[in-house]
Amino acid sequence: MEENKGASSCSSHGCNHSNGGRGEKFLNPTPMLDELEKGPWPSFVSGFKNLAERTKKPMLRGVMDQLEYSYNTKMGYWKGGLVTVDGYGAGVITRYSMIKDKIPEAAEFHTMRIQPPPGLHYNTAMLREMCDIWEEYGSGMLTLHGQTGDIMLQGIDEANVQECFDKLNEKGWDLGGAGAGMRTAVSCAGPARCEQACYDNLELHLHALRHFVGQLHRPEWNYKIKFKFSACPNDCTNSIMRSDLAVIGTWKDAIQVEEAAVTEWIEEKGVDALVNQVINLCPTRAISLQDGGMKIDTRDCVRCMHCLNAMPKALSPGKERGVSLLMGGKNTLKVGVNMGSLIIPFMKMETEEDREKFMKLVEEIIDWWDDSGLDHERIGETIERVGLRQFLDGVGLDVDINQVSRPRDNPYFKAKY
Amino acid sequence: MILFFIINKQDKEEIIMGIVINGATIETDENGYLVNLEDWTEEIAGKLAEGEELDMSDEHWSLVKFLRDYYDEYQIAPAVKVLTKAIAAEKGIDKKEASEFLYGLFPKGPALQACKVAGLPKPTGCV
Amino acid sequence: MSSPERTWKTIESGPHTYMEALHPVVRKNYGNWKYHEIPRPGVLKHVAESGDALFTVRAGTPRQDTVDMVRQLCDIADRYCDGHLRFTVRNNVEFLTPKEENVEPMIRDLEAMGFPVGGAGNCVSSVSHTQGWLHCDIPATDASGVVKSMMDSLYDEFKHMEMPNKVRLSTSCCSINCGGQADIAVVVKHTRPPRINHDNLSMICELPKAVARCPVAAIRPTVVNGKRSLMVDEAKCICCGACFGACPAMEINHPEHSKFAIWVGGKNSNARSKPSTMSIVAHNLPNNPPRWPEVTEAVGKILTAYKAGGRPWERVGEWINRIGWKRFFEETGLIFDEDMIDSYRHARTTFNQSAHVRF
Repeated sequence: MEENKGASSCSSHGCNHSNGGRGEKFLNPTPMLDELEKGPWPSFVSGFKNLAERTKKPMLRGVMDQLEYSYNTKMGYWKGGLVTVDGYGAGVITRYSMIKDKIPEAAEFHTMRIQPPPGLHYNTAMLREMCDIWEEYGSGMLTLHGQTGDIMLQGIDEANVQECFDKLNEKGWDLGGAGAGMRTAVSCAGPARCEQACYDNLELHLHALRHFVGQLHRPEWNYKIKFKFSACPNDCTNSIMRSDLAVIGTWKDAIQVEEAAVTEWIEEKGVDALVNQVINLCPTRAISLQDGGMKIDTRDCVRCMHCLNAMPKALSPGKERGVSLLMGGKNTLKVGVNMGSLIIPFMKMETEEDREKFMKLVEEIIDWWDDSGLDHERIGETIERVGLRQFLDGVGLDVDINQVSRPRDNPYFKAKY
Repeated sequence: MILFFIINKQDKEEIIMGIVINGATIETDENGYLVNLEDWTEEIAGKLAEGEELDMSDEHWSLVKFLRDYYDEYQIAPAVKVLTKAIAAEKGIDKKEASEFLYGLFPKGPALQACKVAGLPKPTGCV
Repeated sequence: MSSPERTWKTIESGPHTYMEALHPVVRKNYGNWKYHEIPRPGVLKHVAESGDALFTVRAGTPRQDTVDMVRQLCDIADRYCDGHLRFTVRNNVEFLTPKEENVEPMIRDLEAMGFPVGGAGNCVSSVSHTQGWLHCDIPATDASGVVKSMMDSLYDEFKHMEMPNKVRLSTSCCSINCGGQADIAVVVKHTRPPRINHDNLSMICELPKAVARCPVAAIRPTVVNGKRSLMVDEAKCICCGACFGACPAMEINHPEHSKFAIWVGGKNSNARSKPSTMSIVAHNLPNNPPRWPEVTEAVGKILTAYKAGGRPWERVGEWINRIGWKRFFEETGLIFDEDMIDSYRHARTTFNQSAHVRF
């Protein structure tokens, strides 16, 4: 294949690409896409055009032409395939154009999924070096970030994939997940900024994804499995609905109350606000108005986060902190959306030992699913099909009242005898 | 080696990709998979393997046979875990070693390389 | 293909390390934050137990970026934040600095570059979305284009904090709904069964996989023109498009028959009410590039009613639970029709199993 990085032939394309500094545009006209340059929100079309006019990469012109074509015909023209790097069975999202006879410059447009740092915390040195490598080997288009959590470097020829990956890998970047294996995970900002963080989700994310790195790069399970790490029940990573393994920070004991700050809040906002915006919105009526102030009955508290969100200076999570594990979330494909359900109400998550213990448990859970699950069946679907009881038995987990919102309302079971 | 040809199809010149065997052109897609799975022969498999820079040993061929037998019986390619289980059972090794063995034979992965050489349909999807 | 000259040996490192990305003030106060407040739209102020303050300036991005744009953001981070920045789960960019005096100039520079500062607190934040026609192999529409059009009309709601609570939006280009559950989601809805390409199906698909993929068992093997192929029982087909992902010869996308539906009430957080999935409130909206005005208009109607009627802290779904679905449809001008009654797996859970009624 060609050594000409990022280029592909356009001799049969008949386009005007010989501007030679005479002020002619590199790109072909794209009147539909141009409509998306109007309006105040930053325009991805303007971004593409600026990049294309500066770098003159034929792939960019091809992709713009194909996108314009799609806007006119209202159909998509990419098909999948398999391109990867040595030793990995997944991670490069392969795209070939179905209309390369019309638009040869768009013939190949593969995307490399790259795992970001947990919490999407970057420094400019990291980002700049990634951009330099990407511009050298690929189109220069990228997405921060994909829905599962990857950096998506969009637009590279197969011939350049290995070398581009090697350069990135040298700088500490690795491919993300695809196919039937472990996928890239997501974390919220965590203890790197947020006062509600109940555990070090960034460290657990790093630990977990390193632990399963082999199964991420060489997929061999029934289907995909995703971790998401939210440091508190606000669940800013949307883990309950978007992951198989939702690790949500929580606490066991009482919410910590700073009385002076409560008084300050009431003085500033008034008792009406205390009642209408805090007390009345507690889902389990754990808070009562008392002598013009508030009293929380910890036994009734479900740790929903509302009062902490409403009174951030006055209230904070309890001292006995850890995680809850929910399982089985997935989005709409095939069977509809499933929400994860609570499997383990509380686990400490402070030390390396705690993390190791957690990893061992997750391995057992995944082994059970790999044996009991069907092809293309998410773990939540498997649990629903065989029954929660069978899952708990199979993995050796204790039954806990917090796993259900209420006990069953029918008597149709056979107890052991 | 995958070559490009200009052929005459219905009086139109078309550029296709393919490999040449005994003077005949066997069409492949841009990813190197056979367009017509019925074209597969061992000789063609050898050419496909060359294109993947694979040195086909007995172990490679044994795996190709396993894939083709499985596909003949079930009309689907075996899931990777079925492959690794079969290898593990045959060699008396564990799943992890079986996976390493598989990637040792086919460094770009069983789905990409083994299925291609065995003349199975291209695996689909990133969702 | 691997090059014979390859000298680098892959290090399976997984996620990139994060410690070096954290500002020294962040590292010093890691896990020891006390509270935060939002002094103005798009600006967060976190205060640590030590008394140190950290300011975050949040700005919207197209998500579909270029290296040039990322370098521009790096310039801002270098100039004002000692090189530290991050992204949010919903594609906003955040700049972190302990220096309050850097906040205003940063906002000025960002806005001058075209990045709106906002998206924090009680407002419309950026839209979760994916690839669409730019890159996906399954889509019935584009993603970035729909988002751009929507956010142009919601620009002020991104930059100000005038909503009852935060508003999370998403768009998706097929029924797989990669954009996810949201307060308001715009999702493609196919309205016809797939058209089958019998000529090449057996060459590109594993037939049993496509048969098994159908959640309502509407697909059966058959023979067409002497070739093994598949057929769809159109009476059973629910037009979900799951088969298309397994078999590209089952063509579900159609320029006219793949349309848009609007969904409301998704909520991921546990605050107040338990997390909820979203409900369909409009469908048969046309797929109308390049700006999809019908979709933007429908979303606008919903937000106008929510902004006017929601009480403090109510998310869209909670607002609807209080005022009732009847009032929701009246106030937004959308129409409840028979197709919005659930007919799928857990339908009974959505029936009104009570005498609670609103007139």
